[in-house]
Amino acid sequence: MNLSLVDPFVLAQDCPEVITGRLRSGHSTSIRFSHRGDLLASGRHDGIVVIFDIETNGVARKLRGHTRQIQSLSWSTNDRYLLSAGQDWKAVLWDLQDGSRLRTVRFESAIFIAEIHPKNHNLFVAALYEDQPVLVDISEPIPVKHSLSSAPRRLQSERDNATEKQAAQDAKQTTTVTVFTPSGEHILAGTNKGWLNIISAKTHQILYSLRLTNNIIVFVRLTLSGRDVVINSSDRIVRTIHLPELTDPKLDFDTLQLEVEHKFQDLVQRLSWNHVSFSPSGEYVTASTWMNHHIYVWERGQGSLVKILEGTKEELSAVEWHPFRPFVAAVGVDSGRIWLWSILQPQRWSALAPDFVEVEENHEYIEHEDEFDIQPLEEIHKRRLDQEDEEVDVLTIEPQKTPMTFEADDLGFRMPVLLDIEASDSEDEVVAIGAGQFRRKSPGTGREWMNDDEGAEVASNGTSATQNGTKRRRAG
Amino acid sequence: MDDSRDPSPKRGREADEYEHEDARPRKRSSSGTPNGSASYRLAQRPARRYSRDNDSEDDHRYYRDRRSPQSGSHSRSGSRSRSQSRRRSRSPESTPLPPKPNELHYKPTMILHGHKKGVSAVRFSPDGRWIASASADCTIKIWDAKTGQLEHTLEGHLAGVNIISWSPDSKMIASGSDDKTIRLWNITTGLAHPTPFVGHHNYVYSIAFSPKGNMLVSGSYDEAVFLWDVRAARVMRSLPAHSDPVGGIDFVRDGTLIVSCANDGLIRVWDTATGQCLRTLVHEDNAPVTSVRFSPNGKYILAWTLDSCLRLWNYIDGKGKCVKTYQGHMNKKYSLSGAFGTYGGEPPYQYAFIASGSEDNTIVLWDVSSKNVLQRLEGHKSPVLAVDTHPSEHLIASGGLDKVVRVWRSEEGQNEVTNGTNGTEEVGEKVVNGDEAELPPYPFGE
Repeated sequence: MNLSLVDPFVLAQDCPEVITGRLRSGHSTSIRFSHRGDLLASGRHDGIVVIFDIETNGVARKLRGHTRQIQSLSWSTNDRYLLSAGQDWKAVLWDLQDGSRLRTVRFESAIFIAEIHPKNHNLFVAALYEDQPVLVDISEPIPVKHSLSSAPRRLQSERDNATEKQAAQDAKQTTTVTVFTPSGEHILAGTNKGWLNIISAKTHQILYSLRLTNNIIVFVRLTLSGRDVVINSSDRIVRTIHLPELTDPKLDFDTLQLEVEHKFQDLVQRLSWNHVSFSPSGEYVTASTWMNHHIYVWERGQGSLVKILEGTKEELSAVEWHPFRPFVAAVGVDSGRIWLWSILQPQRWSALAPDFVEVEENHEYIEHEDEFDIQPLEEIHKRRLDQEDEEVDVLTIEPQKTPMTFEADDLGFRMPVLLDIEASDSEDEVVAIGAGQFRRKSPGTGREWMNDDEGAEVASNGTSATQNGTKRRRAG
Repeated sequence: MDDSRDPSPKRGREADEYEHEDARPRKRSSSGTPNGSASYRLAQRPARRYSRDNDSEDDHRYYRDRRSPQSGSHSRSGSRSRSQSRRRSRSPESTPLPPKPNELHYKPTMILHGHKKGVSAVRFSPDGRWIASASADCTIKIWDAKTGQLEHTLEGHLAGVNIISWSPDSKMIASGSDDKTIRLWNITTGLAHPTPFVGHHNYVYSIAFSPKGNMLVSGSYDEAVFLWDVRAARVMRSLPAHSDPVGGIDFVRDGTLIVSCANDGLIRVWDTATGQCLRTLVHEDNAPVTSVRFSPNGKYILAWTLDSCLRLWNYIDGKGKCVKTYQGHMNKKYSLSGAFGTYGGEPPYQYAFIASGSEDNTIVLWDVSSKNVLQRLEGHKSPVLAVDTHPSEHLIASGGLDKVVRVWRSEEGQNEVTNGTNGTEEVGEKVVNGDEAELPPYPFGE
């Protein structure tokens, strides 16, 4: 509701400018904003998932269940469930209502990425290391895994002419990244041979394949509308592709021709890109750079570089754009901090008093004819009261006309506010050991919890672990 | 800035003063006597009050009920006939285009005794189950909104409690006190959260929870407004707000704006995310503003000023404009508060009213648009400081310097639903005594 009061020039800015803050809880490795944009999930190097409250910049919840670094995070559409995939070959679905582990799915290999279905939080797709991607149904306690194919779809003629070598190569292809389209009807999958496959989530068949490059496709991300896709591959080029409406029944995948819209690359320094993401509207593409401290921001209209976000003294890995604000979060590789870029709003001093006006140039003050006329107070009061005859409506709630579509529904999930979260998240994790004396926290202190509840599959374990942690802190 | 206001229009302070005016000595040891005397006085006083209303039937019925609680049958029949007559009079409401009612009929239903000093704040919980009342006696009491049963007495503050705010999930209460701290209380256990919010260096005067419950905003006598991270109990942001004690504070319904007001006569609207002042509202007379509230839809700000006015501001258009001034109550000294409520039928025919306490011992209900007084609730015996409306039912709770919390009900719009079950309850005031056998130690002596 603040939008009507904020300076329109500030609102018109849609690209972050400067570092406005940083978050820290352990060593973060991957981050993801919730759909409503009030929470930021951060997966840590030690396997703990931390939920940050973006409004307070504080920790809202800690989720314990992984034993190794978190690889990917995915929120359900209502922001109640969070799917985390870790290097311990597990994917965990968390219920943020109570912080419990709803489901734990084990795999036989490492997980690159696991993404929740946008309309069904009991379905997710995962890309596995040197294995075929799987669509996992976790509505029952025992997960049902459907293996998907990585071999690109070939026309009949191509298949007939295929050499044995090509067939063998196709069979050897594995998928490195999978994402759902916003409708949930299709899965976009990138392979290690540079193919982009569109897979039907219903029939599990590959509908369309497109070869983009000879190198590995590292990451794929869609806009909220699902019509634009950005692809990061190891050939140091970030590509964007405009997709047709995939849910359109008239769409014929056999005749579909997709073309790369933009190729973003740094030809001079030959930079390679760690992670890419879209701005909410898809207008901008951001990428963090390998062995470099910068985040590149390109705009898609002209395909030009518009900004380089800087200010950190470390390489950045995961970079994420807030779902509706000009706000970018990125993870520092060395420190594990989360850096935040946004826009600094200057205080408009005309807001400080009703008779202040901000003017471009000096105005000569012209006194009104009746300015110093003395009028009887009573009369002024009476006139003033008589003028107050308009109808006021203090009840009707106007629907929001902003891009914040989630802000409008108050009935959505609201995460409970916990008061006893284990702190230990102070900047640089120092502990006071005496008057004026501090030392760094020993690196292993946060990990004791692993010894007691590892392997236990009870859903309530996440919470009990939290409580244990709290008690320990109090005692210590 | 006259002297009477300057020391403080403080609820707690004034409550103390009132304590001296009141002849009844407050004794810790003989708790039984005050109880007895309280109920005795109740039997006497309401009668006088009702006779003033020229409503002799009410009067008689009231007497009957108070004298012999066993004669429930009489009273019940009485209530039925009354409600029927009222239904007849309001029958046009059921026709397709009901006229806007020009008066309301709130009736006393409960009197909650227990506080030993003036009541400074009364709030219904967002789920409507509880009434919380804060008092200068350093305690907060939680009452069942239906039965009036005392559920908890929250003790822990070292000085009078000025203000309370419910968390949106109705599981917690935050309280601001003269001991300069804010405390969080768990409603299920009745215990305080171990870490108080320390940071203000003067009386905490007003607090409000953000709609998500993750933030708390507080205004203090030290002229500062602090935004707190509830989870970590630390100050997130300090708003360089005012040059006089901050009297009232509120969050808009989506949590993006904060409004604060102070004795310097300014009302400021803040951006929660950036901490910047977005708007300043000043009335020409510059009267000290003691309390503010956003309208239910967040488009207006209602402000209480010490010139016996309530003003409704449109803070959005232009530079902000006062669109309504409500008069008819008295407010020169205390920081009164109130709330928005609704009456009439379902949304197209739903109208809003404003309820506020008054220093002439009444509660005044105004129609928002016409500024007409819809009803004056009489019953309190000293200034009414706090008034709140139930989030869904036609219920008003009020507290004042006379140490009691009163609950008022209007059967309007819902008598078909509730008459069968609640009809008996509404016959007369139900006196609930929340005095415990053992009183808590009074930290400041007598």
